[in-house]
Amino acid sequence: MAELKEIRKRLEEIEKLIKAEIAWEPVGPTPMPEVPALRNWDMRLLKTYAPWYAPFCDLCCLCTFGKCDLTEDRRGACGIDIATQQARMVLLACLIGCSCHTAHGAHILEYLIEKHGPDKKIDLGRGIEVEAPHIRTVIGLKPETLSDLKIAIEYVYKEITHLLDSVHTGQEGSYLDYESKALHAGMLDHVGMEAADIAQIVGFNYPTSVAETPLVGLGWGAIDKTKPVILVVGHNPVTSTALIDYLRANNLYDKVEVGGICCTALETTRYSDRAKVVGPLSRQLFFLRTGIPDVIMTDEQCIRTDMPIEASKAGSALIATLDKAMYGLPDATEMATEEIVKQMVGEKKHFAILEPAKAAEVAVKVAMEIAPQRKKEWLSEEEAKGLAERCNDCGMCERVCPNLFSIGDGIIEVAKGNFDLIREQFRRCIGCGKCEEECPREVPIFKIMQTAASKESWKIRAGRGPIMDTEIRNVGASITLGTIPGVVAFVGCSNYPDIEDLAEMVEEFAKRKYIVVVSGCAAMVAGMKKDADGKTIYEKYPPDFDGGGIVNVGSCVANSHITGAAIKVVNIFAKLPLRGNYEVVADHTLNRLGACGVAWGAYSQKAAAIGTGCNRLGIPVILGPHSSKYRRLYLSRKEEGDWRVMDARTKEVVDTGEPAPEHLTYVCETKEKAMVMIAKLCIRRNDTPQGRAIKLNHYISLYKKYMGGGLPEDLHLFVRRDADLPIVYKKEARVYLQEIGWKPKEPVGLPTLIGTYPSKVSVDSVI
Amino acid sequence: MSATVPFHRVNVLTGIKSARMIEDAGEYAKLIKRAKRPLLVLGPLLVKGSLNGRFLIEYAFEIAKSASIPICATGHVKVKMMEAGVKPDSEYDVVEIINALKDPDWMGVKKEGNHDLVIFFGIRSDFAEQGLSVLKHFAPHLKTMTLCKFYFPHANYSLPNIKKDEQWKEFLEALISNLRG
Repeated sequence: MAELKEIRKRLEEIEKLIKAEIAWEPVGPTPMPEVPALRNWDMRLLKTYAPWYAPFCDLCCLCTFGKCDLTEDRRGACGIDIATQQARMVLLACLIGCSCHTAHGAHILEYLIEKHGPDKKIDLGRGIEVEAPHIRTVIGLKPETLSDLKIAIEYVYKEITHLLDSVHTGQEGSYLDYESKALHAGMLDHVGMEAADIAQIVGFNYPTSVAETPLVGLGWGAIDKTKPVILVVGHNPVTSTALIDYLRANNLYDKVEVGGICCTALETTRYSDRAKVVGPLSRQLFFLRTGIPDVIMTDEQCIRTDMPIEASKAGSALIATLDKAMYGLPDATEMATEEIVKQMVGEKKHFAILEPAKAAEVAVKVAMEIAPQRKKEWLSEEEAKGLAERCNDCGMCERVCPNLFSIGDGIIEVAKGNFDLIREQFRRCIGCGKCEEECPREVPIFKIMQTAASKESWKIRAGRGPIMDTEIRNVGASITLGTIPGVVAFVGCSNYPDIEDLAEMVEEFAKRKYIVVVSGCAAMVAGMKKDADGKTIYEKYPPDFDGGGIVNVGSCVANSHITGAAIKVVNIFAKLPLRGNYEVVADHTLNRLGACGVAWGAYSQKAAAIGTGCNRLGIPVILGPHSSKYRRLYLSRKEEGDWRVMDARTKEVVDTGEPAPEHLTYVCETKEKAMVMIAKLCIRRNDTPQGRAIKLNHYISLYKKYMGGGLPEDLHLFVRRDADLPIVYKKEARVYLQEIGWKPKEPVGLPTLIGTYPSKVSVDSVI
Repeated sequence: MSATVPFHRVNVLTGIKSARMIEDAGEYAKLIKRAKRPLLVLGPLLVKGSLNGRFLIEYAFEIAKSASIPICATGHVKVKMMEAGVKPDSEYDVVEIINALKDPDWMGVKKEGNHDLVIFFGIRSDFAEQGLSVLKHFAPHLKTMTLCKFYFPHANYSLPNIKKDEQWKEFLEALISNLRG
């Protein structure tokens, strides 16, 4: 009885928080879900897409019982086994990622509520009525003001605490339950990201309800070095927007150059199209060492932790602007501005300044004073040759390179006056700087790379935030029926095997009339290649959320708009309610919406959380080879897997035998394989014969192009009837299918997993 | 426990169970010959890689042929194989073949039962190490072996870090010769 009372009390609390009395939609079965609420959905996913663990290490090192050896079925002193320990680490990674995005959101919100008041209306423009698909679906709240976003953030904070509790020694003992919790953390992450980006759009007046956002300068070649240069690095635009405000207010907008690295760069260009995107994370150390930035302003996440050392080496001034990363610097927030400037210029001191307007003012004043002393020249080829001559080809650089290539070979060639190899290597460099640190002869590798780095500049389309409802109305049917072959999102960091991979992959799918969406570092890298006419993908393809379009949604937190677009299709096109209705929405996405994420260079915990959030929502994700170090994938065994679904119309369970989608998280070693896999992972059980034929046409043609001809060995699994066969390959495919004894089967009218596992949700809810 | 440090330091083992390092091609050949159902998994580094002017994949073909080992092509290896007129016995990507190998009841690429020895060749070392770790922890029913010129601690049997390509070439040629003998 006491328990029932408790549940009722909790429900009342939730109803109050989500303003249940406002009947925009009936409240679904799981508003503000706690961990157990969606556990059955998770377990159903994990039954087909079993966790695949690749331990980094044989040990558990988390507590003082150990280190505990977990090889050969041994258990740790707490009882944990190797699989559960891996799942625990994955949950931890997802929690770190989720915390980063959500704390970013909370910080922005706090700042903007102070600036605009709690009742500032959320208005994302005429094109967007479903303003917060994640918050609506997960929490059951339709946020109307900035203070409503706080409800979302506080819910995520609370859930994070519960999840983090479970990784303590002597807690959860099942890898599957840890995975369910990781999926929960992934889902929360998208709520946190969505709250953060909505707050930014509303509070900073970013463009919204418009596809054609400005084309802005990309690359260090775009930076005007004749002006004082301020570099903003990180993910949080509170200070960079204050910087732009200061420049505008003081008639300095044309006199100071603002460039950015990582997501803050993208955020800043949403605020000012005069700001430049220097490049992705992989170019951070390189650009710092050029000495071009007069002042560096760091905020949070993905910033180098040795920033004060690097800034001093290059002669740049450093201001840390957020409490997340203060580097042990003196907190000058309360100091007089002129005194800070004096010490930064005269004594080369770095400071933390946690008040955005003050940090901005100091940055501008310092930059204007020290810029005239800056040495702005790049290394000449002759100078580089001289420095490279120090290398004795010991190979230590190769041994520590996370991308496994021998920078030493490139340096030796530079010493001979040949710069071709180092140019190629620079494309593959992920910018960690380990090679230079390890070099026994202290060859300044990053400096030498200046001669390899192209000085050209490119164009990137400024991030646009949410996909418009009107666009969803236009493409919803085509995506669901399969006549637009898929939505492919290229997201993530810059841990790629080769920088050109991304531009190639993006273009391949845009040409094939998939809807291509990009964000974060991936969006930058995709723009860093020109065709024969000197055009980047952003200049060649329309910015519409439509077949053949390339949409840059914005920074990391804007990834929520990509998954949000999937939710909008469910709501706007399929007319299913969102409010507290996560399971139905995720089921629809998994079975009927051909979407696939590609995090080709993922490195961060944030990327782990984003990817895992996509998975819970039924969206598969492909990762690049470095990402095997995330230690966990979700893979099916296509021949042996459980591919049964409920036909919601006939209420019968049908064994489709069809692995669609085949995997939820997958790592590829090469871009060639990734492209074939992307096309395959966009296949869904709900495809019409026409849609399936289009999808198979791409799957087969990519297979032929990149896999050496013939037909894919698993083609028969995706062909239900002769009508599914693409016309171009019909003859060849019929011969193959006959050879292997393929038999036709009826497509399922309305496929759903709901009804095939224990759930509060009825099958009728999916219709 | 071996104190050998892998060539690529990103692959340093933090644990207690590391590969037996074998330099003798004869010993490698014996291990392969002793296996009932070996499998050769070929990775994309073989597509472009060469050793003294001869494509690495040609060594792989000879090893497979000499000991009648079925080939699993990963990544885009099949392209190169088809150019050379060799059809792979199976196509799985690295994670897929490893996922199948984990299951002791899987029937293998020839449908004759799961493999008892899996030989990896031409996969980038960090990725290979992660894959080998999967099998080390979750597939006690099989042994793993590598033919690349680096030490792979998560394998059961590995070559040492080989400094000179000439030594590696000699090893591969001796292995082929021993397998034929």
